[in-house]
This record gives sequence, structure tokens and C-alpha cells, in this order.
Amino acid sequence: MSCNQSDKSYKLGSLPGARAPLALSYVPMQDSAAPAYEPSEALERGTLFPGLDLPFMNVVNENVPDVPTAELMAIDFVTDELELYLDTHAADREAFQLYQSFLALKEEAHRRYAEAYGPICQRDQLGSDAYTWLRDPWPWDYPVREER
Amino acid sequence: MPYPELKGLLTDIGTEELGHLEMVGTVVHQLTREMSADDVKKAGLDAYFVDHTAGVYPTAASGFPWSAASMQVKGDVIADLSEDLAAEQKARVTYDNILRLSDDPDVNNVMRYLREREIVHYQRFGEALRLASERMNERNVYVMNPSFDG
Repeated sequence: MSCNQSDKSYKLGSLPGARAPLALSYVPMQDSAAPAYEPSEALERGTLFPGLDLPFMNVVNENVPDVPTAELMAIDFVTDELELYLDTHAADREAFQLYQSFLALKEEAHRRYAEAYGPICQRDQLGSDAYTWLRDPWPWDYPVREER
Repeated sequence: MPYPELKGLLTDIGTEELGHLEMVGTVVHQLTREMSADDVKKAGLDAYFVDHTAGVYPTAASGFPWSAASMQVKGDVIADLSEDLAAEQKARVTYDNILRLSDDPDVNNVMRYLREREIVHYQRFGEALRLASERMNERNVYVMNPSFDG
């Protein structure tokens, strides 16, 4: 192969379907945010994207525990996962639309949760009658004690 | 980090990882909060107990306390992203190893979740390395360090 100055192909190695630079780690770009799991399945699996779901010994989680935070955690997880995807795919309009729809769902789920169980962030206390931040239980206090 | 799309990703993954520290701390708390002195001895947790009682003190499994000495920073875009990629793999293997040893289904659910996050982060750091390299000198990505030489 010629090493002529206008031809930089000798700087690239071949991969099926791609030319990648020599002497640099290469991870292919994820093509698209589809297909995607439903929120509760995404939270169970630890990813929104079936293409990235690569479990150890092929053992997977089957059910998110039925706790009051379950719905909010699942939607929150999807927005966080889409945010990481958008960080490296800022021009993906479809993913951005999906992100927008989940942001709206998150707002709604957050409001419902805070009304039923109390504040989970500072702004939930805006307009509150009393300082409820200190009320139990906190997330790590699951109800084992009451059963003893 | 001189590139905005990478600044966002590093902030978002960094924030998520701090959440993982809380989750692992919560698992340790939930496993140890009702232990008796006898449980401590049977579990081989006696050295930890003498130093920390049932308080959550972040250490490696071997007892090495978490500190800035556990971190890596080179100040070079390619070196630091390569380090981040390696760190995700090392975390993934740590979770694999815990899954080999643990028979507690509640612990394992959390470990499988955290392990999968490392795989997603690996993908994103790999994409970040590609985005960074596209902004670098196309003939020679090692011609200089964009974090320092601009």
C-alpha cells in the first residue's frame, strides 16, 4: 500500500462494515434507541436497550419488588438511560422525542409519589404546611423492624 | 474535558456512579444492621466490626479503604477515556465475582443491575472515544493532548 500524503487509508484497519483507526480502541456507535424495553423491564434488566443486555451466566432479574417507589424508579431509570444515550447521540430526534415523553411521565409520577408518601426532593416541600423531610421511613429503612 | 458532548457524558456517568456507592452502602447496611456478635464471628466480619461496628465504611473487599488513591486521572483525553473503559470492565468483573459467591437473591438482584450498568457505560465511553477522535487530527490522534495543548 502506498503511503502517499493525500491517502490516509493506511491509518485505518478493516472491520466488517467499518474502517477503524489503528492504535485506538474501537467501540461501534449504537445505531438507534430502538428497540427499547418497557420501563419496569428496563429497570429489572439494568438497561433500556436489549442490544446492550448481556447478563452474567444468562441469569436475569425477573421482578422489580412491588414497593411504592417502583413506578417512579422505572421511569426515572428510563430518563437517565436516555440521557446517557443522547449525550453521545444529541442529533437523534426520535430518541429526543422519547426522552421528552418520559420526562413528562416522570414529572407526573414524581408528583403522585410525593403527594402519597412525602417529599423526595427539596422542591416537593414548596408550599408544604410543615417540615416533613424528617418523617420515616427513609429509602433504606425497609419495614423489617415492624415484623420482628 | 475540551469537548461539550463528553463533558455531559462524564458528568452524567459520574453522578450515576455516586448513586451506585449509595446503593452498595445500603446493601451493606441492610445485611449488617441486625447482626449479633455471634453472626459477626461466623461471617468472618470480626476485623471490620472492631473498627467500624455496623457503620458503613467504604473499602475494597480486601479491606483497602476507598480514597483518592483508588482513582486515576492522567489529564489526557485518550488516556483517561481508555482508563474509564478499563474501570467499567474491572467493575463488571467485581460484580461477576460477587455473583459467583453470593446466594442471597436480594443482593444478587442489585449486583446484576449494577453489573449491567457497567456494560452500558462501557458502550457510552467507547462512543465518547470515537466522538473525541473525530475532533482530533485525522492523520494522527496522538499529535498532541487536546486537554492541555488545546
